[in-house]
Amino acid sequence: MLKGISKGDRIGYLYILPALVFMSALMFYPIIYNFVISMQKVDVMTLLNPHKQFIWFDNYINIFKTKYLIHSIVKSFTFTIGCIIFQFSFGFLLAVLFNRENKVFKFMRAVMLVPYILPATVSAIVFKFIFSVNGGIANEFLQSIGVIEKPVEWLLHPETAMLSVIIANIWCGVPFNMILLSAGLANIPKDLYESAEIDGANAFQKFFAITVPSLKSSIEAVLVLGFVYTFRVFEIVYVMTNGGPVNGTEIMAILSYKTSFNNFNFAEGAAISNILFLILFIVGIFYSKMIKKDEVM
Amino acid sequence: MSYFKSYKIKNKLGKYISTFIAVICFLIMIFPLYWMFTSSLKEETSIFASPPELFPLNPSLSAFTTQLSMTTFDIPRALLNSFLISGSTMIISAILSIMAAYGLARFKIRGFKIIIFLFLVSQMLPQIFTLIPNFIIFKKIGIYNTYWAPILSNCTLAIPFCVLMMRTYFIGIPKEIDEAARIDGCNSLQSFFRVMLPMCSGGVIVCFVFSFLFGYGDMVYSLTYVSDSTKWPVTTGIYNVVGRYGIEWSRSMAFGSMVVLPVVLIFIFMQKYIVAGLTNGSVKG
Repeated sequence: MLKGISKGDRIGYLYILPALVFMSALMFYPIIYNFVISMQKVDVMTLLNPHKQFIWFDNYINIFKTKYLIHSIVKSFTFTIGCIIFQFSFGFLLAVLFNRENKVFKFMRAVMLVPYILPATVSAIVFKFIFSVNGGIANEFLQSIGVIEKPVEWLLHPETAMLSVIIANIWCGVPFNMILLSAGLANIPKDLYESAEIDGANAFQKFFAITVPSLKSSIEAVLVLGFVYTFRVFEIVYVMTNGGPVNGTEIMAILSYKTSFNNFNFAEGAAISNILFLILFIVGIFYSKMIKKDEVM
Repeated sequence: MSYFKSYKIKNKLGKYISTFIAVICFLIMIFPLYWMFTSSLKEETSIFASPPELFPLNPSLSAFTTQLSMTTFDIPRALLNSFLISGSTMIISAILSIMAAYGLARFKIRGFKIIIFLFLVSQMLPQIFTLIPNFIIFKKIGIYNTYWAPILSNCTLAIPFCVLMMRTYFIGIPKEIDEAARIDGCNSLQSFFRVMLPMCSGGVIVCFVFSFLFGYGDMVYSLTYVSDSTKWPVTTGIYNVVGRYGIEWSRSMAFGSMVVLPVVLIFIFMQKYIVAGLTNGSVKG
């Protein structure tokens, strides 16, 4: 034994090394490089120059001076919180409803996972169709039940466009919430409910006194991961609205992409994505602390 | 006695109501998919029918044939590109991550916590975050506009997921089994291939399925790193054709159905592993 690492354990590094080298080259180095770019002057002309001019925090100052960054941060939070509230509640409802040892129910639950594995681009196009003015089923349905009188131009106004992308993203996110919560539900001992029934508890009392407390760690995980996965969403919104109309759905990832690849201001694009990263990083640390605490318990 | 009777009736009624709500929720969840498939079987005129046709009254495949004969974008070619990209993503990331997961599960590693943390963080990173630096790096090293650019980028999404998920499978196997194999004369590599891998075959399949899906679902990497549209996968193709130029809805939905078909087939045959991957992969590392 050599300081706790035996000779046999050294072989372990050989197994890890290829993946670590790969990730270092294509992820960890680019992350550092992204910070460097964000402090340089990088546009189409200087993109491939070996030495780029350092302008330090000018890019950050510039992006904070325009109204677009703050606007996109607000949009990102609106989008994320809107998505999480509904996909969590709906996912929870589905998890409870489908928590049965029944073949048909199990099959239905499995089929509902499909939206999660579909290419986001296709889901976005389907929802673009559903919310279209001519031939869109959303308008037809809402008119037939009398909620709206005349067709709404969903994707042509900032507020309704935000609502539309949120609904599309909820559809993609519900399966994730449902499956994690039903895994938690399956672990709750059945006799807890039985003894509560004998004590005369009704369904609501059982739900809030047994189900919710037993699922505490699953609920935490679903909410934190849901936040992270929703906050970084790009393709759904990009395909459905491209950030429009009038920047109404311009979340941070889209602002960063457009700044880099439409306006070719790569440095400011990198700076925006760093701020996005910072927000997620704070949540990530919070999450890893949380699971550590759970493992100790 | 009467108390129990009323309780039972109430219980039964509750069950009917919850079944009813469950079925409604199920129908809402599958409706967008159903609507895509049925709309792809309609003529463009029936798309605008009011009230909408919930079942295609005159089903036809004309949307598919027109879309496939389109000269601006070659769909079969793009499907091949998709399979090439996602197949390569699958092989590279499955091999690298299964090995790494074994190393992290079975050996005492210095810096273990940092490595796990790095994988956890990279799993959470937004794609946009590496998109800009890698765009410059790929241009410099000359893999911009080749299949390698999207393949390698997709692997950076798949590897952290597979490593963390696969590690839980390896940890689940008692150390004694590994040790017994070593005593019987296997070296670490032999015991890895002959004992550990077969015992974790479920996890191995999950790795393959998910890294394929990561590769198949990507649109933005090919859009950004590949300017030659003959190298685009179907996802980038459908974005470009439908999103930018706007085509008839029946044809868009036919295109969408063609893109989705492989995923649905994978789902049908790999359902068990997809459920396992979703539950094991995303909860803990």
